[in-house]
Amino acid sequence: MRRPGLRARVTAGFAIGALCVSTAVALLSYQITERYLLAERESTARRAVLFDADLVHAGLSADPADPLGAIRPLDTGSNRRAFLRRAGEWYSTKVDAGNTTADIPVGLIALVAQDKAGVQRVRVGGVPAMVIAVPLDEGTALYEVDFMNELDRSLRVLALVLTMVAVGTTGGGALLGAYATRRVLRPLASVADAAREIAAGDHSTRLDPAAEPELERLTTSFNRMVDQLQARMERDRRFAADVSHELRSPLQTLAAAASVLSRRREQLDERSATAVHLLTEEVDRFQDLVTDLLELARGDQPVQRAPVDVGAMAVQLCRSRGLAEDVVAADPCSVWQVERRRLEQILANLLDNAHVHGGGAVAVVVRTAGSTHELLVDDSGPGVGPADREVIFDRFVRGRAAGARGDSEGTGLGLALAAQHVTAHGGTITVADRPGGGARFRVTIPLEAP
Amino acid sequence: MVAVLVIEDDDRIRLSLAMALEDEGYTVHTAATAEEGLVRQRREPADTVLVDLMLPGIDGFECIRELRRHDEVPIVVVSARDDTHDIVAALEAGADDYVVKPVATKELSARLRALRRRTRPASVAEPRPTVLGELELRPYAGEVLLRGELLALTRTEFRLLCELAEHAGQVLSRQQLLARVWEYDYGDERLVDVHVGRLRQKVEDDPGNPVRLVTVRGMGYKLQRP
Repeated sequence: MRRPGLRARVTAGFAIGALCVSTAVALLSYQITERYLLAERESTARRAVLFDADLVHAGLSADPADPLGAIRPLDTGSNRRAFLRRAGEWYSTKVDAGNTTADIPVGLIALVAQDKAGVQRVRVGGVPAMVIAVPLDEGTALYEVDFMNELDRSLRVLALVLTMVAVGTTGGGALLGAYATRRVLRPLASVADAAREIAAGDHSTRLDPAAEPELERLTTSFNRMVDQLQARMERDRRFAADVSHELRSPLQTLAAAASVLSRRREQLDERSATAVHLLTEEVDRFQDLVTDLLELARGDQPVQRAPVDVGAMAVQLCRSRGLAEDVVAADPCSVWQVERRRLEQILANLLDNAHVHGGGAVAVVVRTAGSTHELLVDDSGPGVGPADREVIFDRFVRGRAAGARGDSEGTGLGLALAAQHVTAHGGTITVADRPGGGARFRVTIPLEAP
Repeated sequence: MVAVLVIEDDDRIRLSLAMALEDEGYTVHTAATAEEGLVRQRREPADTVLVDLMLPGIDGFECIRELRRHDEVPIVVVSARDDTHDIVAALEAGADDYVVKPVATKELSARLRALRRRTRPASVAEPRPTVLGELELRPYAGEVLLRGELLALTRTEFRLLCELAEHAGQVLSRQQLLARVWEYDYGDERLVDVHVGRLRQKVEDDPGNPVRLVTVRGMGYKLQRP
């Protein structure tokens, strides 16, 4: 499973934190409020019962035979029920007394029997209530049941409100987390943007250290890294240019001097003429080698695409190699978005490869199918064995047949260079058997840059 | 005999190039520095100048600009540098062509011949000027007039303009222009772009917003019919 992103994790963290804090606060405040309200209610009820007890006591003293008459004057309102227990009998002014007395806890009755007053909380018919007992005379006690409907309702409302507040706080925490991560990650997004620009070739991109003072270390080290990268690339570029210059200059002398010698071959004796011939050939090959190597060395440069008529290019390249023009089978419209120089080298190197190893190209196909351009170069040579089909695109790999012949043609870099150019275009190059014998090199290049 | 001035600081290259070009039938003047080359060209003008870019003292770019200030002699850069910046900068300075070392003698000779063909006034059958609005081309005389005033064009710019004028109103692709003006089978399209840019400096009133020599995106260039 994929690990959730940093933003999701921080948001969740904030939400969980907010949930814990708000739940704790809600529970605590509920507890405190409940305890306070109950205590308040209890002392009120206690005062009322003591007052009633005085009344009942006075009534009973006046007429000990009429317990009902003693409790009748009590003003119990709708919330309270008063019961008098005298000699094991219950007396009440309310009709439903029988039901209610059953709810009076036995423990409380036992407590009263020991001549002690007591308070106990019970539930009567699902309604929370408080039972307060006050012993009067021997065998006589006043019980009052105080129903706490309103208090219960208030506590319920309080619980609901606190729950809602907790939920709201959790949501707020999540929002805060999301916002905070966005704020915190924003400078990182600008780092990512800068990195992308640099990767795309804009090496002048730098971060502004003043924009985020807290991230100064990041921005300064990022900028230093880019500076060093740029310096390194500049060094590499200059080195490549220097190498290029240092290799090309003596080659220029060699090429010109060799052509002067070549022109006078007739005047030389046979040995000297052979030597001049060898010299000229090798100078040519060395020239090709240096050109290919320098080309390979700078292969990482971005592709500069422009519309190129590849069909016309193929015809032209075949013509300049003395191949019949009808070798080329191109789409009527074969204009591709590619870098001309590189595509020309791909085609030229494949044609030269066919010439050296396959007796010359017998078919060149330029076509576009779906979202890919396709280029086929067929020869009728011995083909490429399955074992060689990968390594053939490596540097300095020459065909086995060529090696066996001791043929010195080719630099051994042609196909590697072609492969590098194809890859730079986001395409593929493969070799397979041509139906009917020979090798078929297939280049595919996606229509649009990836 | 066609005279070629070779400005090259490397003694061995200068000597071997001179020998090879003499074999091809050219009279060769040589100079080891740009300063020497400029003096030599003023005193004894050659028909074509070959110039290296990395020269001690005045560099190749400055040398090209200096040569261009005085005359329209065809200039070919022969440099070991094949960096796009260098090529474009050299062409913008006024070079007509650019070859990268090492160049085969045969190839260099072919380039020089093509340049010579471009340089000679075209052997036009009809000695009548072509008039395109305010532009008047006189190929037989090698002259171009804008509102009656003679324009100072290099031979390459002149050939490019003639080629476009001959097909006025039609789009010519960069490759077509390379083939017709530079005689390249397949060449570097930057040659065309830079020369079109230079031509615009001379034939357009506002080179940034060309109205005569326009770019047709993805296709090439066109000289508008008035």
